[in-house]
Amino acid sequence: MEEIKVDKVMDLKGLPCPMPVVKVSKGIKEVQVGQVIEAITTDPGALADFPAWARTSGNEILKTDQGDGVIKIYIKRDK
Amino acid sequence: MQTITYLILVPMVYLAYLIFVLGIISRMVKIWRAPVQPTTLQIFPEKKPKWLWALHDSFLLPTVRKHNPVLWFFLMIFHIALLLLIIGHLELFKGFTFFQFWEHEIFLGKGFVGLTMIIALLYLLFRRFASPTRQISIPEDYYLLILIFLTVLFGSQMDWARRWYGYAELSPSDYQTYLTSLLFFRPELPSAVYQTGHSFMLVLHVFFANLFIMFFPFSKIMHSFFSIPMNRLRRG
Amino acid sequence: MDTQTREDLLKLFQSKLNQAMRLYLETCSRCGTCTEACHVYASTGQVKHIAAYRHEIVRRIYKKYFKGQGKLASALGEPKELTELALEELYEAAYSCTGCRRCMVYCPHGIDTQMLMSIAKLLLVGANEEPEILSMLADSSIEKGKSLDLFKEGFLTAIKNLESQVVEKWQVEAGQNPIPMDQEGADLLYVALAGAHSIIPAAAIFNAAGENWTLSFFEAVNFGAFVGDPSRTKLILDRIINEAVRLKVKEVCICECGTAFRVMKQLSGKQPFKVSSITEVHARYLREGRIRLDKEKFKDPVTYHDPCQIARNAGVIDEPRYILQNLTHDFREMTDDVRYNWCCGGGGGLVALGEDTLDFRMKSAKVKVDQVQKTGAKILATACENCHTQLSNLNDHYQMGMNVQFLSSMIAEALVQ
Repeated sequence: MEEIKVDKVMDLKGLPCPMPVVKVSKGIKEVQVGQVIEAITTDPGALADFPAWARTSGNEILKTDQGDGVIKIYIKRDK
Repeated sequence: MQTITYLILVPMVYLAYLIFVLGIISRMVKIWRAPVQPTTLQIFPEKKPKWLWALHDSFLLPTVRKHNPVLWFFLMIFHIALLLLIIGHLELFKGFTFFQFWEHEIFLGKGFVGLTMIIALLYLLFRRFASPTRQISIPEDYYLLILIFLTVLFGSQMDWARRWYGYAELSPSDYQTYLTSLLFFRPELPSAVYQTGHSFMLVLHVFFANLFIMFFPFSKIMHSFFSIPMNRLRRG
Repeated sequence: MDTQTREDLLKLFQSKLNQAMRLYLETCSRCGTCTEACHVYASTGQVKHIAAYRHEIVRRIYKKYFKGQGKLASALGEPKELTELALEELYEAAYSCTGCRRCMVYCPHGIDTQMLMSIAKLLLVGANEEPEILSMLADSSIEKGKSLDLFKEGFLTAIKNLESQVVEKWQVEAGQNPIPMDQEGADLLYVALAGAHSIIPAAAIFNAAGENWTLSFFEAVNFGAFVGDPSRTKLILDRIINEAVRLKVKEVCICECGTAFRVMKQLSGKQPFKVSSITEVHARYLREGRIRLDKEKFKDPVTYHDPCQIARNAGVIDEPRYILQNLTHDFREMTDDVRYNWCCGGGGGLVALGEDTLDFRMKSAKVKVDQVQKTGAKILATACENCHTQLSNLNDHYQMGMNVQFLSSMIAEALVQ
């Protein structure tokens, strides 16, 4: 699998509910269509929240990585 | 002049009560026909029996006492005076002797009940001229207070004239004749009622009372009916 | 605003007019007893934050379209046309109110400001002028319910990754699952939030108490309720109810989240299972001797902030106090009883709106800061995510130097074998 080119990294570790999704939904507006955000979080709920948010907001989850208690989610702005 | 006096003392009274009764019924039906709130609106901690505490909240205004004791004092004397005056008026119907289990002259309080109420009304009115109560008041609030004030003022003057200044031209028995005749739809105006020097007080009292009674069902005064069910909602 | 839009909005208004709402709209005598009740007014002194003033903003529109007065005697109550400007006013009233219902305690008639503000919120939803973030959060919650299968695997892995941290706090027996999920026939379904902090301590305590429990796939919080949309509130709630029914649990335990608990416990009607807050469950474990706590663990004085939606509005009052008596030697009650507890200033969706509302939240909660500081406590415990976030923000902003804690985390810290 080819390496994902990340345009913006957001550290969302340890944020209270529902800040990770809120911050990403704002952050996505700061990148161009087609660009990618890497969101780093410790919330297990993010693995459900982000895909659901992506579907309703019309963006795309490219990949999720789990390991060392840290979750990385790669989101591409689609519109 | 006599025609106007008659119009105020007879047809307008009937009209006022018609509006009063129909208005209240229509307001209540409208609420009663609305869907029931499906979930609780209770505030905790709860105290039992809930219905008794709801009555306590409605009649003793404990929250006002706690947060605004001066307002509470005037609200309480206002409402108690109102109750005593209602009793006084009921006694103006011939044969209504229920309250005479405790023997007294008609209109309890020797004229001081009306005076108390006027003082309370002035307080309630003037506080609305001051911030921040001024900013949460609407015209209705002032109209109602002024209307009640005028009604009570002219009503009390009849009482005061008779009891404090010895003008005995109008007596409770004249009022009894007049009111009882209205009740049985055979309106009769004793000459004392509209031909003496004090009949203008009666006419103005009845005039403002009519206005108030017509306004009642469409105003915030409906809290006299709605406060108890609302306090029940809060008590759960 | 065109006629069609206005008509649609008035239909939404009409849909809110049940008996209680009509009573609330008809009865206010504007006595002003509620003046000092609102923390926003008490902190800022701005008249527009007095409960009766807020009510009147909704009430004027009611008078205009639903009462004869609006047509026949408009001088009486200043009825107001529903326009774009009126919507702006409704927005300001509804989203500066945290729905804490402290003013309801003051009112001699017991008018519920939160109910009246729910009309304003629904009209804003109808006009697409509600806070975008809340709507987005509500929509993704619903989407999650629809596409459970898509994220199930990832979520299970993430939960699995938390197990070691749970075991660190409380050793489970060999073969026992530290965070059970999807367990049919479990006694208790625990509904958490997205964050690990709402799962790890809770799991350790359940395991310590020997509870037969299972973790929900969904988060407890109901953004539909924040944004004031009854249909979305129900969809979000139904995800959890369906899961509880499918797993045949006896009890649904809601994590430390005020809105989630109030919506599930008080605003969802009758359910085939018992609804408890996690605080109630913990108090029960303590009473039954299923868990024991080390009273020496927290040496600093502790005070407790009652989340409005859990205490004043849902009755969980004695339980946190019972827990704290078992957790510390120095518990300090805030002044005045629970009914009069000041709101943290973060309810009604304000905390979820994040930095957009931060300035307002800090200014409007000055009275809360004073109330907390008066206790002289060093640890500020609470049992609501929203309150915790807001209190932490206050702690930073006003440099209170306090240690803001979740009650459940404190319990998990102090567990003894």
